[in-house]
Amino acid sequence: MMALPFLFAFLAVLTAWRQWRGATIGLWTLTVLAMLVLIRFHFTDALNIDL
Amino acid sequence: MSPALARTLNALGLIAISVVLLAAFAEQFINGELPCPLCLLQRAGFVAAGLGIALNVAIEPRPAHYAMAIVSAIVGAAVSLRQVALHVVPGTGAYGSAFLGFHFYTWAFIVFALIILGCAAMLFFERQFEPELAPRPVRLAGMSLIAVALFAVLALGNGVSTLAECELGLCPDNPTSYMLFDSAPGNGSDSAPAAQ
Repeated sequence: MMALPFLFAFLAVLTAWRQWRGATIGLWTLTVLAMLVLIRFHFTDALNIDL
Repeated sequence: MSPALARTLNALGLIAISVVLLAAFAEQFINGELPCPLCLLQRAGFVAAGLGIALNVAIEPRPAHYAMAIVSAIVGAAVSLRQVALHVVPGTGAYGSAFLGFHFYTWAFIVFALIILGCAAMLFFERQFEPELAPRPVRLAGMSLIAVALFAVLALGNGVSTLAECELGLCPDNPTSYMLFDSAPGNGSDSAPAAQ
């Protein structure tokens, strides 16, 4: 699960290499969303979120 | 600033981000310090920021690409600042070794701040966004090719390394070994202790 952002990012670099701009931006969005989800899972106490 | 010069500067920036990721790998594999979950998220922040810069190199400079880098750097900076805050109180210890007086999470925050400042500075030069008179190169070549290829290898390398360290789940807060190798058949670490 922690590897997900890197997986999305690697695919995004490949699509950037192929000059598929839309796909790259979509995969970058998934990369950042995965990071935010991991922050949510790992650090709810750090962010003082009471779920 | 011409689009070609902007593309060259972005390629240099992408190489700089790759050097940061290489330094993290050196710390991991040469000094044997496994990255913590916060450290991995900071690495992911660098990779995500590099994606926007890679688009500037591979296609053409656009404000949206700089925005991608800035947003990613803000997320990464928030994570690194959180780790700085964890250890800022005297007596709370630190994670990992120091480099030139700062720990790696402090350096990460500084580099994220530099990425934000660098992208903001680049946005001042609007001529780079004008349509180019000459057609842009269809294939990457030279320094652009090296920058994007190195960055792609490092993104994949971080994915493989993270998979080895954490498998498919979440990483332990203080990792001491690669979970994938611990659970490999024949390793014996998962077996019950021998009866006395």
